[in-house]
Amino acid sequence: MSAGRSMNRRDFLKLSGAGLAGATLLGAAACGGGGGEAQNGDGPIEIIFSFGPDDSGTLQEVVSRFNEEHEGEIQVNYREMPADTGQYFDQLRTEFQAGGGDIDVIGGDVIWPAQFAANGWILDLSDRFTEEDRQEFLEGPIESNTYDGSVWGVPWFTDAGMMYYRQDLLEEAGFSEPPETWDELKEMALETAEATGTQFGFVFQGAQYEGGVVNGLEYIWTHGGDALSEEGSEVTISEPPAVSGLETQRSMIDDGVSPDAVSSYKEQESHEAFLRGDAVFLRNWPYVYALAGDEGESEVSQDQIGIAPIPTGPDGGSFSGLGGWNFYINAASDPEVQDAAYEFIQFATSTEIQRFRALEGSFLPTRTELYDDQEIQDTVPVIALGRENLERSRPRPVSPVYSDMSLIMQEQFNSSLRGQKPPQQAADDAGNEMQSIVDRAESL
Amino acid sequence: MAAATSSGSGNLWRSVAFYAFIAFFLLVALFPLLWVFKMSIITRAEIFASPPTILPNTLTGTSYETIFSDARFQRAILNSVIVAGVTTVICLFLGSIAAYAIARLRFRFKSPFLTLILAIAFFPPVAIIAPLFVQFSQAGIINTYASLIIPDVVFALPLTVWLLVAFFKELPFDLEEAAKVDGATTLQAFWKVIVPLSAPGVFTTAILTFIFAWNEFLFANTFAFDISVQPVTVVIPQFATIYTVDYGAQAAAAVVVTIPLVILVLIFQRRIVSGLTAGAVKG
Amino acid sequence: MAQQSQKKEPGFFGKIKEEFTTAESRTAYYMTVPTLAVILIVAFFPIMYSMILSFQQVTPQQTFGTFVGLQNYVAMFQDPSFRDAFFNTTVFTVVSVALEFVLGLAIALAINRQFRGRGMVRAAVLVPWAFPLVVSALMWRLMYQDQIGIINYVANTLGLITQPILTDEGLLLIGAIVSDVWKTTPFVALLLLAGLQTIPGDVYEAARVDGASRVQQFFKITMPLLKGSILVALLFRTLDAWRIYDLFWVMSDRQLESFSTYVYKAVRISQLNFPLGNAAAVFIFLSALVLAFIFIKGFGMQTSPGGK
Repeated sequence: MSAGRSMNRRDFLKLSGAGLAGATLLGAAACGGGGGEAQNGDGPIEIIFSFGPDDSGTLQEVVSRFNEEHEGEIQVNYREMPADTGQYFDQLRTEFQAGGGDIDVIGGDVIWPAQFAANGWILDLSDRFTEEDRQEFLEGPIESNTYDGSVWGVPWFTDAGMMYYRQDLLEEAGFSEPPETWDELKEMALETAEATGTQFGFVFQGAQYEGGVVNGLEYIWTHGGDALSEEGSEVTISEPPAVSGLETQRSMIDDGVSPDAVSSYKEQESHEAFLRGDAVFLRNWPYVYALAGDEGESEVSQDQIGIAPIPTGPDGGSFSGLGGWNFYINAASDPEVQDAAYEFIQFATSTEIQRFRALEGSFLPTRTELYDDQEIQDTVPVIALGRENLERSRPRPVSPVYSDMSLIMQEQFNSSLRGQKPPQQAADDAGNEMQSIVDRAESL
Repeated sequence: MAAATSSGSGNLWRSVAFYAFIAFFLLVALFPLLWVFKMSIITRAEIFASPPTILPNTLTGTSYETIFSDARFQRAILNSVIVAGVTTVICLFLGSIAAYAIARLRFRFKSPFLTLILAIAFFPPVAIIAPLFVQFSQAGIINTYASLIIPDVVFALPLTVWLLVAFFKELPFDLEEAAKVDGATTLQAFWKVIVPLSAPGVFTTAILTFIFAWNEFLFANTFAFDISVQPVTVVIPQFATIYTVDYGAQAAAAVVVTIPLVILVLIFQRRIVSGLTAGAVKG
Repeated sequence: MAQQSQKKEPGFFGKIKEEFTTAESRTAYYMTVPTLAVILIVAFFPIMYSMILSFQQVTPQQTFGTFVGLQNYVAMFQDPSFRDAFFNTTVFTVVSVALEFVLGLAIALAINRQFRGRGMVRAAVLVPWAFPLVVSALMWRLMYQDQIGIINYVANTLGLITQPILTDEGLLLIGAIVSDVWKTTPFVALLLLAGLQTIPGDVYEAARVDGASRVQQFFKITMPLLKGSILVALLFRTLDAWRIYDLFWVMSDRQLESFSTYVYKAVRISQLNFPLGNAAAVFIFLSALVLAFIFIKGFGMQTSPGGK
């Protein structure tokens, strides 16, 4: 990734690009549409802000409020990206590799900053987003933005794994408290399902995708294990605590607590089962609580549902996988655009706007003070109910080659859960492949 | 008229068996489409009903309302029409002149040319996405219609050329001679005589090329990043929000993008069949 | 005009020059060059570039890396994901093409006669063919899904499966084959039917007079005369199956690996497997070439449309 090389590359590619463009002039000329337009000399600074589909409508509102306040100075244009995080990531990476692309502000997943930063694609925000500013935010999301001693993003809204349970069903079966350990969960799930005629004990996300990694890691963490060592150079996924985590996960299916199909479930399928009243327990993100308040979506109401921390194994604490979204700034944007972009980020992460998004769209704020806001607690009870989970949220490995590691964990966690291979073997295979990735990444 | 040449009860049974086979075949061929159509017109609750209902119980237009009020979907349809339409026009232009030369002119390297063009029909597109990606980026056309149309044209051309060669060969050879006697050049003979006379064939080729481009997924999934250029094939599987998938809307979208093709196919079935089998049977 | 060139053998460039002396062939070259240029630039130049990269240690951010010989190919064949891709693609190709051929031939034979409703059957046959592959993949996924899928439900009720279809790679592969057979058998049947219709009826008449049984007629007359159509259908289907991407990607939701999904993941998703992805791209290109060569040379397939 040296500068000399990139110069060569540029010349070479320009040449071939020109040839290509020439030969297919016909095609290119016939269809100029779709590209971005050039920045005008006068007029407001235009910023392109990318994020997935905004089904709550609050994002549009935030953007237009900002544009109103900065009329004539800054104009933010929201570009809708794929709902699927993996596809969104592929597309961003694609644009960056293509020489930066035209997106200026990225509303991006918490797992992205290390990969973007290592390639020099996003701006180091350490100076803008000062230590003092950072103290007002939750710790987990800040941690996810910290790579190589710098801070690369501003936390926007957060997510953490929640253990939903059916309060009414547990009471019916004679349980007054939610489970604290995985063993208790299994026992309660089986007994409650039996006593109340519920189809499944427990559903979660076991499919071969990023969410499956978060679920798998939660089992591993709560058994005292981890995927990588603290400094990130050593793979610890095949060590006994991690393996026992995967064993517990597999036992959910073996012991009949979870359906076989759970290994193909993503968020949708699992919340569907729970909200249709077919499951006693559900591991999912905070959004499910709001869905339960919607009669069109749910046959279960909010007061039938409780939220507990993720259960623990014999020797581990409770941890929730950290999800959520941060703002990043494209390193290839013009400096004045970057300044304007940061202004937008400050606006969108301000107390007032985060409060608005929490109240109107149930997005979990990243500013700690908002967790004590009475109106938010009343309107979005999941914030109070799940506060413990949010405080125990833990980011996935922060690594510049995370997407390669994730591909491996997705595959191995899933084959362990499906019973295609024993957890020990899946963990060994994951360990070997991940170690080779760490080694190769270091040699690059 | 299966039993036209003979009579008797044995033949009656044979007829019955034959039509039973045809009915079964039709059912299998159409079932998935019917099933998805059913999914698109029933309520959410019925979609999830277990056991599933065979006939729709609760009719609703919600799914269609969802997709038609969705700006993304409208845009995707527009994108698909533009990409497939422009691809078809370019393919017909390039393909018809090349096909004319191959079908009706004599030149030494004809057979290597044809082999090369046909080789593309067997070329795995995935093998070139990485280099094309870089080239498109550098040429500044990544994430534009051009980045979809260019590879689509290349991969549709063999089909276009193949069909047009077959159609052009069907015309009698003295046509151009007559035109040339009247003072026309080769090109004039081509535009003024051959193309109009093979209009039905050209039209069939256009339909098939359009369907080919309409259905393309790999390039669209690689080179189109956002909804301003993504065609329906990319948008439909993504028809979801961050956590939720609206199965009814997905089904409705599948129906909507397929209906135009089904209509095309029904109207032009005779032509399409002759196009699809052109060349393949005469060799 | 063209016969002149047979008298003496000029060099390669001489030949080209000579070709340009006659107006007819000159026009022919002008007419074919645009198509040729587009194909060369958009398809063959990039594959050459992939070939170079496949022998190098290189990241997606570099133009050229350092030469490492066959190392990427060795690593590729050792990669368990590539082996999965190899297995899945091979099984998928062999089984789905075989099924499509047998079923397609059966259907073609069955409907190769005049009967009422023939137009309807032909139209119905075209419906699956016209479906966008992605939409068909999605549709089948919805039918295989465990909460709303009719096929999963029926298979489960009948005791055909012990696991939900989407959770088992074997079942997913079978599911992919079923959906491909559904989509392309009609196309194969159409090609073969067209071939059948070119066989004159009096050939069979003569055979019948000679006392050949129906089975004998089939193997002695139908099959040899149908050979051209069969080869065309098989070649198209084999190479289509060999590069399958859309179906696996969407129907299995990225879970089932084929050559094409492997390449896609390596060059578009992974940060580190870019060189392996290039090696796999070259592998799939060369293997497709070999397959086509076997069909064309090995089986003597005719490649020019409309005959000579």
